[in-house]
Parts: sequence; structure tokens; C-alpha cells
Amino acid sequence: MNKRRFKDSTFNVMTFISIISVTFLLGMIFWFVFSQGIGLLNFRLLTSDNQAVNYVGAFSSDNYPEFMDPSLESDVHFIERYGIGIAERRDLAGNTVIEFVYVDPDSPFTDIALLNGGSLSVTSGMTLNRVAFIERPAAQRSQGIMNMVSALSDEGNTIRELSFTRPGGGIRASLVSTLYLIGLTLVIVLPFGIMSGLYFSEFAKNNRLTRITRNFIEMLSGIPSIVFGLIGLSVLIPFTVRTTPATGGNLIAGALTLSAILLPIVIRTTEEGFNNVPRPYREASLALGANRTQTSLFIVIPGALSSILTTTFLAIGRIIGESAALIFVLGTAVRDRVGVFDRSPSLAVHIWALMTREPPNIELASTIAVIILIVVLILNLSIKLLVRLLHRGRY
Amino acid sequence: MKNNVIMSNLDKHTQRLLLLFSLFASSVIILIVFFIVTRGMLPFITDNDGLGRVSLFRFLTGTVWLRGATFVSTAYGAGFLVINTLYVVFLSLLISFPISILSALFIAKICPPRIAQMFRMVVEILTAIPSIIFGLVGAGFLLPIIYTLATTLGYRSNAGLGVLGVVIVLALMSIPTLTTISETAIRSVDRSLEEASYALGATRAQTNAKVVLISAKGGIFAATILAVGRALGEATAVSLVAGNAMSGPSFIPFDITATLTSMMLMGLHETSGIDYDIRFSLGIVLLAVIFIVNVTLNFIKKRVGDFGE
Repeated sequence: MNKRRFKDSTFNVMTFISIISVTFLLGMIFWFVFSQGIGLLNFRLLTSDNQAVNYVGAFSSDNYPEFMDPSLESDVHFIERYGIGIAERRDLAGNTVIEFVYVDPDSPFTDIALLNGGSLSVTSGMTLNRVAFIERPAAQRSQGIMNMVSALSDEGNTIRELSFTRPGGGIRASLVSTLYLIGLTLVIVLPFGIMSGLYFSEFAKNNRLTRITRNFIEMLSGIPSIVFGLIGLSVLIPFTVRTTPATGGNLIAGALTLSAILLPIVIRTTEEGFNNVPRPYREASLALGANRTQTSLFIVIPGALSSILTTTFLAIGRIIGESAALIFVLGTAVRDRVGVFDRSPSLAVHIWALMTREPPNIELASTIAVIILIVVLILNLSIKLLVRLLHRGRY
Repeated sequence: MKNNVIMSNLDKHTQRLLLLFSLFASSVIILIVFFIVTRGMLPFITDNDGLGRVSLFRFLTGTVWLRGATFVSTAYGAGFLVINTLYVVFLSLLISFPISILSALFIAKICPPRIAQMFRMVVEILTAIPSIIFGLVGAGFLLPIIYTLATTLGYRSNAGLGVLGVVIVLALMSIPTLTTISETAIRSVDRSLEEASYALGATRAQTNAKVVLISAKGGIFAATILAVGRALGEATAVSLVAGNAMSGPSFIPFDITATLTSMMLMGLHETSGIDYDIRFSLGIVLLAVIFIVNVTLNFIKKRVGDFGE
């Protein structure tokens, strides 16, 4: 009897260990992604360009007032002569840079005449690479911040030329292109999914044609996404190039690829939603003299609205996470100008691009992963909430 | 009366319109297979810009992958990729299957409902995490650990890349799917079967192991088939930890490897020529592998399912 109890408890403990390790797995993913990525996560990352831009220029005028120290953080060096605060920081690629932390509105740095024409106002966040002086040695970024500070503060130095960088590494482009993809894909796949779902739920007879159609759609969900990527590459890109102003891979082709991937899921879930609308609703509508088209439009579709919304959230989650199919269609080269007819990677593809680079940029990749995880979590919770509302409100 | 006629015609038109939509939706799969096959056949039937035809037999059985334009050769061998793919998916299943089934059993039968709800939530969130993030965690977190393990054991390791990483990443990715579907299957086991088992004097653990799991085996098998299909087709996460071996097959856990999908991602930058087309040939092989594995598993499921039900 003791042996049996031992066996039983071993089995139970094993199941417990399993579930704990699954929980541990989730914790590990979140811990890793957040610990690596949270350091870079800030608003500037989300709004700044990926490509760094360099500027060379000099002050437009030599008249400027005296400046007061605005009491900055302790590691920031305030240069009284020019009214700027600079500090040593690490950029998104991990290099040490000299960054403008504070620029006085009256500072000469707000009005720089650029060498190739035009003018520039230095803002905080930009970095200082080199300052050349008249008849004195230039101060370089690589010589460290103390050298730069003393060179700038020296009253005998007159600035001849300045070189700045607007730092890159931002993910605005991938963020925008992901949003475009979500919008375009939903516009394509939702009508298709709802129409087909409505057909299967309301109009399809139980015959051979229906069964075959259903099976084919079901088979579509078994195709791996990389194969959809190949189709996007060989069929959808040429198709969009012919019918739109696009010249190569583009977001519309990406959205079409995603639509093909999502089609079976959207059809299945909307159909389920339509099926869940109670029979008596339809019967009442038909009894009042409405035909089946009217019943579908005014009873069935509104009745399934929350499940259509759930499907939409589900689809958004998939679009944000999809990488393999989009790598082929959108490429991995991050560009800053995002248009519907241009190619620009989504957030997930951006992660892949960062990780296949030599050496991989795990930190920035994790930051993007943090964003994806947060969005996915919010979507998941919204679905849960919706389902709860659905069960409480209607039936 | 006239109004009625229009209205009944309207229904017919609506039905036709909606039928058109669903016919289009179902034709997508045909289009996909058609385009992949026509494109993927090109390297075997054309001259490939003077490189000569790719030998189909060699392609299916070869153990070295030579990139055509670079090596001026058509000696593509995808045989080792097929073996690698099947090998890593099988090993990953060895890890994920027991963990998932036992977790599902714990959630469905053993723990109190309130805690079950919490664990269910954990699994749900895991299901929603995109594969690229599993790849990221694999590459950033697991590879250094595997590298340390390999060097302590005296193996040479290329930054931890290789079979073991792929197996673990695939296993982690299959766990949520397997657990969710198995749990549904376990919960739908007929209560009277369990009661019968208790009545015969079996303990709860015995009942869970020998009655519940056995009765739910149809659903568990279906979950396994789904998970295997996904693992076979997984691309980006695998490519981040595989190491892009150009020959194989690789069986040692610390050897670098390559799967069908990771090889397809490697030719990314080609836009024309044989290196472009050969990816579609790999696509055919991938679809064929998935199809054959699926049919085989379904066949086994039918044989196993018949017994005891």
C-alpha cells in the first residue's frame, strides 16, 4: 500500500513540476526580454529615425548673450559661453557619444549655417562629433568629454566648424509600417472573412461543394508562413508592381500575404460567432417578413459584432508577430521613409534583421520585443474582457 | 406580390455573391501549391543560365548544399536538410510532449479550479507570444548557456549555435499549443469512465494516468499533429539558433545545423537565377514533408484510436 502511495505522489509531483516549468518558461521569456530591452525603451526611440544623419556647419552669427546655468544633472557639463549642456551617453548602437542634453533657446547652437546650405537648430538628443577651431587643434569626440568641455570653454578658441549627428537606431519606421500593415490587412481580410463566414453559417447547404470548400480553407491553415512568403515574393509583388505605383516589395503585397495567412482563422472564428447567434432571433426576423439577406445583415452580423471584434484583435496579434512571411516580401533593410508602396520591415522583421546582423544587437531587439509583448498582452486581455462582456450582456 | 419576387431573388443573389467569396478563399490553397510547384520545378527542367540542370535525385538525397552562382555548380543537396528537420522536430517533441501532457493533466484534473484558471492564463499568454520572440530568447539567453555547457563537456561549439538550441526553442514553442488542446481533450473525457475506475478501487493518480489520459488520446494526438506541423514549418526562430550548416546531417547536439526553413531564409538576398528558384524547390520539399508526416501521424492515430474506444 505504501509503494502505491509513493507511485501516486510521484506522478502528481511530476505533473506539478511540469506546470511549474511551463510557468517558469513564461517568466524566463519576460524576464529576459524586459531586462535586456527596458534600458533602451523610451519615447525618443519610438519617434526617431533609424538612419543616422550627419551635419557639418558653423554659427550663423557671433552675437549671443550671457547664459545662466540651468542646474542640470550632475554628469552634464554646462558650457556657459554657448549655453549648452553636454554629457557622455551611450547611443542605441552601444557606442559612447557626446550628447546635447540642454540647449538654451538663445544659444548660437540653435542657429547653425550648414556647409551644404540650409540651417539647423541643434536639439537635445543630437550628438557632437568634432569641433574645429581657428588656428587651434580640433576637439574630437574620441578624445573624451573632458577635452571637449575644456576646448569649448576656452575663451581663446573661436569655432570654425562643427560636426553633429542626429543619431539613428530609432524604430519609428518599423512602427509605422506595422501600423500600415495592420490597417491594410484588416481592410482586406475582414470583409472576406465575414462574407465567407456568413456563407458557411447562413447560406451553405450541407453538400459536397461546401465540404470541399471548407476542407480547402482548413488546409490553408496548415501551410507554414514561410511558404506564404514565397508566394508573396513570386506572385503578389509582381502583381502589386503591375497594378500600383510600387516598384519592388511593398506594404500592400505584405498585407495581401498576411491576409492569405489569416483567412482561415478569420473565416473560422467569424463563422463560429455567427453560429452562436441564437436561432430564435433569426426565426423572429423571418416571421416578421424579412428575407434571409435582411436577417443576415440586420440580425446575424450585429449579433456577432463582439466576436468579429475578437477576431480582429486575434488578427492584429498575428500581424504584429508574423516574421517569416514578411521577411521575403518587405526585406530587412530599415528605411525611414515609409509609404504604402515602399518596402519597410515591420517590428517583428526588424527584430530578425537586428539578430542576424554581425554582431547581433540583442538590446534593441529586446526593446522591440518588449513593445510587441506589451501589445500582445493588451490584445489578449481585451479578448478576455470582450468574451466576458459577450456572455454577460446578450444571452 | 412583386415585392416578394424581388426579395426572394435577392436571397439568391446574396447566396451567389457569398459563395463566390468562399470559393475564392478556398482557391488560395490551390494557387499557392500551383505557384510553388511551377516555380520550384524550374531548376530541374531548365538550363539555369548555363549551369546545367539540377539532378532531382541528387537534390533529394544530397548531403552538401553548394550555392549555385558562387560555386558555379548545381550540386544542391537537400537530403540532409530533410533529415535535420525531422530529427530536431522529433527531439523537440520528446521534450515538449511529456511536459505539455502532464501540465494539461494538472490544470484539468489535479489542481483546484481557481489555480487552474491562473495556469490556464499562463499557457494562453505563452500561446500568444510570437515565434520571433522565442527565437530572440533562444539566441540571447540559451546560446550562451549551451556554449558554456559544450565547452565544459569538451565539445567545440560555434557560439552555442546548433542542434540543441533548435530543439529547445522548438520544444518551448510547441508547449503552449500542445498543452491547450490536450487540456481541452482531457476535460472532455466522460466523467463516468473516471467514476468506474474509482469504483474499481483505483486511486486518483492511477485513474488520471490510466483512464483519463488513455481516453483523451485522440485529442492529444490531434494536438501533437498540429504542433509537429507548426514545428516543421517554423522558420525565423530556428534560423536564429541553427548556425546555417552547409552540409550534414548533424546529429550531435552541439553541431551547427540547418533545416529546410532556415536554408530558405538564407538565400534571402537573391532576386533571380537559380539561388532564387531553388528556394521554391525547398518549399515543395517542405510542403511534401509536412504532408507525409501529417498523413503518417493521422494513420497512426486511426490505428491507435481504434484500440480501446
